[in-house]
Formats: sequence, C-alpha cells, structure tokens
Amino acid sequence: MLSVEGLSVRIGTGRGQARILDEVTLSVPRGGTLGVVGESGCGKSTLLRAILGILPRGTQVPAGAILFEGRDILADRAASARGRIGFIPQDPYLSLNPVFTAGAQILEAMRHHAPGTRRDHKAKLAELFRAVQLPDPEAALDKYPHEFSGGQRQRLLIAAALACDPALVVADEPTTALDVTTQREILALLRQLTAARGLSLLFVTHDFGVLAAVCERVAVLYAGRVAETGLTRAVLDDPRHPYTRMLLGCHPDRAVDLTGIPGTVPAATAQPAGCRFHPRCPLVQPGCAREVPPMLPLAEGHAVACPFHALPLPEPALA
Amino acid sequence: MPEILGAAGLTVELGARRRLFGTRPGVRAVDGVDLSVAAGETFGIVGESGCGKTTLARTLLGLQREASGEIRLGGLVVSGQDSATARRQRAAVQYVHQDPGAALDPWWQVGAALAEGLAIHGVTDRAEQRIRIAEMLVAVGLDPALANRYPHELSGGQQRRIGLARILLLRPKVVILDEPTAGLDLSVQAAVLRLLRELRDRFGLTYLFISHDLSVVRRVCDRVAVMYLGRVVEQGRAETLFAAPQHPYTRALLAAAPRLDGAAAGPSLPGDPPSLRAIPAGCRFHPRCAQADAGCARLEPALVETSPGHLTACHHARRAA
Amino acid sequence: MTALRHLLRDPVAALGLALVLFAIVVALFAPWLAPYPEDAFESRLLQRLKPPSAEFPFGTDNLGRDILSRVILGTRSAVVVAVSVVLAAMLIGVPVGLWAGWREGWVSETLMRVTDVFLAVPQLILALALGQLMAPGLTTAMVALALTYWPFFARTVHAETRRLRGALFVDALAGIGASTPRILLLHVLPNAAPAILVRATIGMGFTILTAAILGFLGVGAAPPSPDWGLAVAEARQHLPEAWWFPTFPGLAILLLVLGFNLLGDGLRDVADPRLRRGR
Repeated sequence: MLSVEGLSVRIGTGRGQARILDEVTLSVPRGGTLGVVGESGCGKSTLLRAILGILPRGTQVPAGAILFEGRDILADRAASARGRIGFIPQDPYLSLNPVFTAGAQILEAMRHHAPGTRRDHKAKLAELFRAVQLPDPEAALDKYPHEFSGGQRQRLLIAAALACDPALVVADEPTTALDVTTQREILALLRQLTAARGLSLLFVTHDFGVLAAVCERVAVLYAGRVAETGLTRAVLDDPRHPYTRMLLGCHPDRAVDLTGIPGTVPAATAQPAGCRFHPRCPLVQPGCAREVPPMLPLAEGHAVACPFHALPLPEPALA
Repeated sequence: MPEILGAAGLTVELGARRRLFGTRPGVRAVDGVDLSVAAGETFGIVGESGCGKTTLARTLLGLQREASGEIRLGGLVVSGQDSATARRQRAAVQYVHQDPGAALDPWWQVGAALAEGLAIHGVTDRAEQRIRIAEMLVAVGLDPALANRYPHELSGGQQRRIGLARILLLRPKVVILDEPTAGLDLSVQAAVLRLLRELRDRFGLTYLFISHDLSVVRRVCDRVAVMYLGRVVEQGRAETLFAAPQHPYTRALLAAAPRLDGAAAGPSLPGDPPSLRAIPAGCRFHPRCAQADAGCARLEPALVETSPGHLTACHHARRAA
Repeated sequence: MTALRHLLRDPVAALGLALVLFAIVVALFAPWLAPYPEDAFESRLLQRLKPPSAEFPFGTDNLGRDILSRVILGTRSAVVVAVSVVLAAMLIGVPVGLWAGWREGWVSETLMRVTDVFLAVPQLILALALGQLMAPGLTTAMVALALTYWPFFARTVHAETRRLRGALFVDALAGIGASTPRILLLHVLPNAAPAILVRATIGMGFTILTAAILGFLGVGAAPPSPDWGLAVAEARQHLPEAWWFPTFPGLAILLLVLGFNLLGDGLRDVADPRLRRGR
C-alpha cells in the first residue's frame, strides 16, 4: 500500500545541512497498521510530512521514494493521490477553524477530492459522523468547533480524514492532547474503523502504551534512521536494538530503576558518523563509529540495525 | 511521619465576579477536599483535566484564595489570609509549573532568573548568589555555564531542571509538582524522575505530585488521591490503590491507561466529564457509572475509610472491592 | 542585535531607519551644517524670495533668509519636539496602562474609560483647544500634544499588561513571592517594551506632523523660529511665484514623518515574532 524506500531528507539551515532522515525504509501493507515511534528529533514528523507531500520549502530529498498504490508520490505530485491519504492531526483544538461549522470545513475538502454532489457529500458525512459515534450526527454538521468537547473534536477530525475515501490514514499522535479515558475511546474507534473499512494506518506516536494498543507493526526511529522494526509485540517483548532496549527500560511500567539514557539525541546538523546511537551506547565497539550498521533480519520480519543485538546490556545500563 | 501540609473542607470558587447588579456565581473547582500530606512522602493527585487538581495546588500555595475550609502547614493554620500574606506565610511550599519554559521570563537569562528568587528571599550578595546558583545547577544535573542562556535556548528536560533549581534555591519543605513529566520524552522523563527522587532525599523534600500519567504516579508516589469534578473520590497507599481500586472511577481510569502489554482491562468509560457548571446531583460520577442506582443520584457519598488507610467516596465501594 | 539585522533585511524599514538617523544627525549638528546659521533670526531683505541657486540651494524666503539653513535648523526643533512630546506622553501613559492593566476594579476601569474618551476626540482638535486655552507658543503646543498622546501609550501598555498578567512566568514569579512592583517594572515592562517602542516611533512621526500643523495654524512655534510648519504658513502669501518657499520645508516634514512611520511599521514586524517566540 505505502512503502517508503531509502528516503533521505535534508534541510539547509544557518548551521549547515540538517540530516533529518537518512535512508528510511518502511512499509504499511494493505489493511495493516504501522506505528512509527521515537523521541523528539527522531524525524517522525518530517517523515509524516514527506508522506503527506507537505515538506517545507528548502527541503531536499537527495535519495529515496515514497510509493503509494504503486506510484512514487514524491515525484508525481498529483493531487488525486492526496485525497487517498487521510490525515488525523495531533491537536483537535488547533486543527479546526473556529469560524466555520464542522460540516462546512469537511465538505470544502470533499468538494475538491471526492466525487459526487454536495447532497451526496452531506449524506456521506452524516453517515461518517455516525460511524465515529458523534452524538446527533445530522445536527453535528451545523455545529461550530467550540460546541464539541476535545474527544468529540478528535472524532470529527477522524471523520474528516475518512471523508474522501482514503486507502491510507496517517495519524500524528492523535491522542496526546486528550485525557486517558477519552484516549482509550478514540484508540478503540480507530482500531474498529481501520478493521471495518480495511484501511491502512500509519500511526506516529511517542507512547509505547498507545502503540501497543493500536499497531500490529512498529518502526523505532532514532536520529533519522530506523533502529528496529518488527511486530509490535515482538519488539516490545524482546527489543533487540540497544536504543529500544534502553528506551523501554525507561518506561515506568517496566523500569527496574529509572535511569534514562546518558547523553542527548544528536542535533540533526551534527549527526555522528557510523551508527547514530554509538556515542550513547553501552555496547559500543570501535567499528560502530565507522560503519553504518545494516538492518539485520531476525525472525518474522523483525529487523534490527545493530550487529551486537544479541549481547546483553551491561548491568549499570539496566539497573 | 507527622503531617506537613493538610487541608480540611477546602472549597475554591473560580470566576465569581461582582457585577454592577448582583454577582455572577463562579464554579466550584475544588469542593470540600480533605488532605493530609506527611513529611517526606510523595503524595500523588491524579484525575482528568478539569478535575480541580491544579486549582487545589494553587490554593495550597496561596496563589488562589479559598472560599472556605482550612489549610495547615507544619501544624499551623495558614488559611484565611489575603494572597500576599498567604504567599509569604507559605514560602515553605513552592510550585513547579507544568510548562517550565513558559514559567521563565523570555527576556531574562537563566542565571538572572535564579538570582531573582534568591534576591526576593533576602539573599542579595552577588557572590553568594553565584555560588549557590552554581551549586544548585550541578545538583539538578546541569552545567553551571547554562546560567548565561536564555530560556528558549534550553531543551525541555533542561527547562524542567531549571524550574526545579529555581524553587529549590528557596529551600522549600514542600514542592508541588504540576505534571512534571508532561511533554517529555521517555528517556528524559526517566532522568527527571530519578532526579526528583535524588533531590527529595538530599533536601528532605515532600512532594505533592500532580499528574495524569498513572504509570508515573504508580512508580513514584507513596500515597495517591484520585479527584473527580473537584472532589477526592478515592485515596490510599499507591500500591493498594493501583492493585485494588475501590471506586468505579478509579477503576475506569486505570483501565484506560495504555499498557505496554497491550492488554485492555476493565470497562471503558463513556462520555466526557460533565462541566463544573453543571455538576450532577448526588454522586458526581453517577451518570457515567455502571454501578449507579437510584440512591446514587440522590445522595452524595462521603469519603469514608473502606479499609485501613484507604478512603473511598462510593455507596458501593465495599461491594465492589 | 538580531532584531536590528531583521529590521535591515526589510528594505522599507531600513529606509525608514536611514531617514530617521539622517534627521537625528542633522538635528545634532544643525548649526555646523547650515550654510548660514545666523539666518535663524537675521533677515536680509535685499535677497527676498530668490529662487534656488548655487548660493541658496533651496532659495530664500520672504525675509531673504536661506531656506536650506532654516530647514536644517528646523530639523532640530522638529526632533526635539517629537522626542520630548513622546517622552512626556510615555511618562503619563505607561504607568497608567501598567496600573490599569494589572489591577481589576473601578479605578482601572475609570482610567481606561478616560483614555477612551481622549482617544475618541481627534488629537488635533484637542491640541488646538488646549493651545488656545493656554498662551500660544511652542511649549504650549508641546504640552498639548503630550496631553493628547498619552492615551495611546496607556492603551498599548494596558493591552500588553493584560496579556502578560496571564503569562505563566508572571504566575511563577508570584509563586516565588515576587512583589507587584518587581513584577511590573522588571518583567512586564521589558516584555511590553517592543510594543511601546513601536508606538513611540509612530508617535514621533505623528507628533512632527501635528506640531507642523499647529505651527501652520499659529498655535505652535512663533516667528522668527525656524519651524517647518510655520514656514509653510508664511509661504502661503507668496504662492504660486515662490514655489520653493513652502516646498522644501514641506518635503522635510513629509520625509521625516514617512521615516518614522516606516521605521515603526518595520519595528512592529520585528517585535511580533519575538513575542511569539516567548510563547
């Protein structure tokens, strides 16, 4: 359905070239869900922008392709492809224009991307509002954003993402601004909708718990590269990359003792040579600073960009 | 351990305004809260947005005036004062904002902002200020050279450490931490939590830990109070509360928290919390509660001891437990 | 310094800055720059109303004085009037705005209603009325202008204070026990400074224009002071023959007012993203 192949993204800045993404390869199968997880600065929002075709000006893509339904959407900027990708933004409070009704905003987008008359669109939207379990779907069309609660707005945005019959939905941390009880409902709704409509879902998050609740597969990004990828359960239960292992070791549910990871994520303008994680890695070997580790396949599509994935982490790093 | 900070029947109204004709009533953001925080413990307050946890913190601090009720600090009653007096009297209680970057004046260098707190509290000697600031920056795990930076030049984790340094310089006894890990990456969060524990031990602090992240609260708090629409609905030791929650709301909250094992446990909680302007009669939670019966709509349950050291405000608490 | 670089990147604002700086330099060194500095007060009736020439590049006026010299000398009075009026207006308006923005209650409400009344009346009319009430003259005109311009500062500072009062860092300062004067003077005021600066710059241009109009109407500077507005007024009787007589003082007014306004607009654009960065 969607496959990102060897994608590199650079942005020229005042302090030199920022290497935001480097040879990122990942794919979302038809009807599959892929979570992209990583900390701030790992490049997940740039990846998302690249897929949505909204990279900021001054961005270069020296290598790679994004294939969607067989076409490279980086090269072929046909608007039709955009309608087939729905987007659920992060903040339901900022993503709706307060001076237009919910219906008017979504219908405007449908006018450009969806076939049919306005009457068809309206009927379809009301049906979508029912599908996302908004109370009183017909009346909701004529309500203004402020008349909805945070959870309802996120439902509204999910309906908007589905309005143009997308094949793929891209979600950018759609529940960060919500309370846990609301988050749970929204996640359940997303699971149900993607399953019922056979949608593919690319879900960007920094929360492993949310990831576990929604995604079959996961790609862990670190400093613009994929560190580890595989089935969510396999990666969470048996992480192999030192970064994934240490990051999960920071999770309050799992940590034996809270430590954090020494050092900080490198600036995109000063990425270390070789393995990007090597300056912070407890398993570091002299070769790590020289060569970029290739993705090593393990079982069942589990792959890890570390040749020392079988070594145990030294005690202080886990303790 | 003796109580260091306590409240009894604390009620806070927000937004009440005297108009030309009559008054516009406010909302009760905090409604009859009893608390007793023991010296040296980490006391968690959890609840969803709008449950009154931040208002409660600001009132304990003295930034918000209580409508009625009593606040105790170190055995003395400190409530019923105007805000300036209240704040002076409660200097032993300090507050770390949820967004520590925005809590710093963007025009002031970090060092100047830290020195200002000292100056306000009577430490005006420049040399002494410099020494204490450098020491404190090291204590919170920062390079003393950061004193010459502006707030926007710091990372989220660094801003949080500066926020801590700023109030620790004032030598508080109780620190109120408002969502101390919100918006932090997992690895940074772990480092901040570890730092908080170290600082607590080193400076003999008591924490009031406000958070909506149940995983974190479970991890760091000794005791926890769960708030819903301005009231405490359940309170007890963290391990018992998380292992065997007695209030239906606590159960729903725990069930909703995303878990690493991906298991979804317990019933989901439909709907959004009602507005503080339209608090339901009887038990506040009854419209969303699966166990509610006619009695719950009539009579508001009191917070009573349902097992040793564990308080629950639910008519069905025992049966549920 | 980054602010200055941003400002210079905008050619329009850079032009404004250049005009203003040029005027300030001219004002500072006016007696040395003017070819005939004594023409401030002395007249040469034999040279009346000469057209521009090598000797008198801008020509001479009805009393035979060199117009170039009088435009240069008039720059000083224009800049002095602008600066002192704006400073005086700031001295009243900024404290009023700070106070009214910080406190809630009938006092601050009343203060803001008073400023609204001032703002509702056209400045020129108010200044004219005040000028007439007191003895006409440059000092009177300046007092009148200051008294009519302070509400603009009060409004600006009021809005900024209201905004900052809700800022988290102000709350945090109250939390660590900072007193109200400390918060207002050391934190709110510097954060409001960009807005005040923009208002002051635009105010200078506005003051120069109004002062010239007052001079033109005979409520401002009195002859024989080298004043641009006054010169334009005196020139009326000699039009259309002596076209140079009103043209050069008029151009001076135009350029300096334009300079201040362009600079003010440029500063506003620079100040905005800085404020947004502070979140």
